[in-house]
Amino acid sequence: MSEQILRNTFGNQTRREFLTTAAVGAAAISMPGAALAAPKRGGTLKFATRVDGRGLDPHRNIIYYVSNPLTATTQGLLDLNQKMEIVPGIGSEWTISDDLMTYTFKIRKGVEFHNGRTVDAEAVKWNYERIMDPKTSHAFTRGSLAEVDTISVLDKYTLRIRLKGPSAVFLANVVYYPCNLIAPDSADQADTHPIGCGPFKFVSWKRYAKTEMTRFENYFESDALGNQLPYLDAIEGYPKKEDKVRLTALRTGEVDLIENMAYSDVAAFKKDHSDKYNTWDIPQVGCAYLAVQAKVGPFAMDHPNGKLMRQALAHAIDRQAIHEAVFNGLSETVAGFYSTSSPWHMPGIKNIKEYDPEKSKHILRKLNAMGTPVDVVARDTYEYMHNSGELVHSMLLDAGFKASNGKFDNPVLREKYRKSDYGVDSTANSYRFEPDGWYSRNILSTAPSTMLRTGYKNEKADKFIVEARATRDFKKRLELYTEVESEVNEDCALIYTHAVPLTSAGTKNLKGYKPAFAGPFNIAGGGIRTAYFD
Amino acid sequence: MLIYAINRILQIIPVIFILSILVFGFVHALPGDVIDTMAGVEAAEDPEVRAALEEEFGLNKPIYVQYFIWIGKAMQGDFGKSLVTRRPVNTELIERIPATMYLALVGITLSVLIAVPLGTLAAVRRNSPTDYAAQVTSLIGISIPEFWFAILCILLFSLHLAWLPSSGYVEFFDDPQRSLWYLILPALAVGFRQAAFTTRLTRSSMLDEISKEYVDTARSLGLPESKVIYKYTLRNALIPTITISGLQLANLLGGTVVLESIFAWPGIGQAIFQSIQLRDFPVIQAGVLVLGVMVVVINLLVDLLYRVLNPRVGMG
Repeated sequence: MSEQILRNTFGNQTRREFLTTAAVGAAAISMPGAALAAPKRGGTLKFATRVDGRGLDPHRNIIYYVSNPLTATTQGLLDLNQKMEIVPGIGSEWTISDDLMTYTFKIRKGVEFHNGRTVDAEAVKWNYERIMDPKTSHAFTRGSLAEVDTISVLDKYTLRIRLKGPSAVFLANVVYYPCNLIAPDSADQADTHPIGCGPFKFVSWKRYAKTEMTRFENYFESDALGNQLPYLDAIEGYPKKEDKVRLTALRTGEVDLIENMAYSDVAAFKKDHSDKYNTWDIPQVGCAYLAVQAKVGPFAMDHPNGKLMRQALAHAIDRQAIHEAVFNGLSETVAGFYSTSSPWHMPGIKNIKEYDPEKSKHILRKLNAMGTPVDVVARDTYEYMHNSGELVHSMLLDAGFKASNGKFDNPVLREKYRKSDYGVDSTANSYRFEPDGWYSRNILSTAPSTMLRTGYKNEKADKFIVEARATRDFKKRLELYTEVESEVNEDCALIYTHAVPLTSAGTKNLKGYKPAFAGPFNIAGGGIRTAYFD
Repeated sequence: MLIYAINRILQIIPVIFILSILVFGFVHALPGDVIDTMAGVEAAEDPEVRAALEEEFGLNKPIYVQYFIWIGKAMQGDFGKSLVTRRPVNTELIERIPATMYLALVGITLSVLIAVPLGTLAAVRRNSPTDYAAQVTSLIGISIPEFWFAILCILLFSLHLAWLPSSGYVEFFDDPQRSLWYLILPALAVGFRQAAFTTRLTRSSMLDEISKEYVDTARSLGLPESKVIYKYTLRNALIPTITISGLQLANLLGGTVVLESIFAWPGIGQAIFQSIQLRDFPVIQAGVLVLGVMVVVINLLVDLLYRVLNPRVGMG
């Protein structure tokens, strides 16, 4: 295989240009205010988050890149930058074969795990094999490596991965979320004291109480002046589930940084406290949407009137009302999964079903379907989901459906999915920096999630998704996904509503911190790695 | 006294056994499949993944076999592994129960320290300004919901006066001073409401006792008023107070979910609530059983305390 020009998934840069851009970007980010002096070292960042991890083993548990303090300990073969672009991490460079089936990674030399073991090709191979084993991994993490056929160690610092089929999107699967690396000699302690190679070392975890992490003194990344990152000595994560509890903790000085402010607090907090605190408005964390149960019943894909019924449902949805009432005007109404802030935003999406309750009524009358029962469900965990669900419920009643509404915990909701015992699910999905992660998992008709929830089937959309996965050119892929979204909007099995916003806040003396677009705080050349106290 | 204590302890054994069956039964009757939570959407329908997880956690065995395996191990102090974190359940509980007991014990102590003197004083000085003040205060305490009082305390003491931290928990043995600092507001929120109930109860008990003939007799014999009140009357009047305080303590051990949330207090109530949402059966079973045993033990201690205060109790 010859070394060839890599067109990264975000544009037409060559690999060399891309690496240069990433390095310059990282340097710029790591020097707030273009200061030439090194930022101050030391200090413990107290960080209050909405959720906590479910477990410590990063292969068995999803360490979500937002809202989870443990993310600070993780590191993948590749990294993400502030724009959620894929940049070098442990893997310093890579090549892709012409047939898109062989990926060869050069491993950065001199990188260590937190226990001092060298990060080499064997270690990465061991991690991926552990992730691919159903006994030692979570299905979501495992799914990222489902395309892998063989993994070969060419030499101590070169790894070759052969895929089962062509894929232009594989790089996204070896970023730290979800595939991060642990020391091969630490598997037996992964559930109690994980040994990773991220910027912070694990110290202790008391679930829902406190996560302690300390600076990894041999972390490989440095700023533009050659100063080793991170600058902070330690991070203490404090999960505080209630939004107002986190905000109060910030205002009383118990923590330095919070994420996920309540939407209702953002405007007043900025107005009254901007002299003492910085706030960061993060454009999109994920996409809120309505998933229509189209497996059986009046909305089913194979029902003669199913499509019209789903369209009637879509016309009943007033996105603006949800935007104002649920998101306090902070969100963005969307017609596809990616908002205007994303590089994958698709302005050419067609078949958008505008709010038109009269049209809904007209369709229902025409089909003699006034009073069709629709059970609107939502997860109880996230307020915006069930608040949106309540609004949708009243909108559907107004349009002539016989709507009911309920919020449920996850296991009950899963059972409802399995039994097709719901009409509309008011839900959301976290931001996928690689769109194949969204379309292949939630739109493709053969995806487990699609089959379980919506039962959506569209041959054209399936074809476009499969084609996009094997397409290297960014513009071409964007066109293909635009076609997919237009099909989705026409079929109305998924009705996109809003890009979910997130606002973080921190004390004024916390410098150099800026979360990435979509919320991650452990990112190359930014986030907590470049944060320091002044 | 010893025979009485042994009898009471023996009575506990069948109670705990029945409790264990109820806990196990109710937990397994919860809707929703734990394998769904563990496997994730991508693999929940994969029979191999489901079978492997069921095998790993013994969920493929008949329910009664699962019960006997669980109770057998539980009697040896082994509650198994959490289905979610895969850590020993004992670790999950040991991290939580001390926080709950700490808050509950200090809260209830605070309540008794406020309520008994205040209730006694109100009864002794019936219809005086002291009595009116005590009654109004206790009425306010009963009327204000606990969570609302907690929020008011945070607004006043944390946000406006900046005297106390608004949320969080520090283990006592890690840093006693900081630990107490973090405890004050939650304990106040717990204690104030309990004190309100107990004050009213102590007052009415004291009034009942004061009106009895033995008090007149004691006074007519020329005993000092303080001896009549504090040695004889209060001792008898405290029996219902102890009963209520014992029940309040038992209630606090599992019933402070809202306050735990407001103060980000990592107690057992929140842990069980979160485990229910995730269908983490071993943690729910162990948590509820341990709390149940604690309630039973508290009741036993209350009964034994009755006997100390009034030796006639349990003679019949």
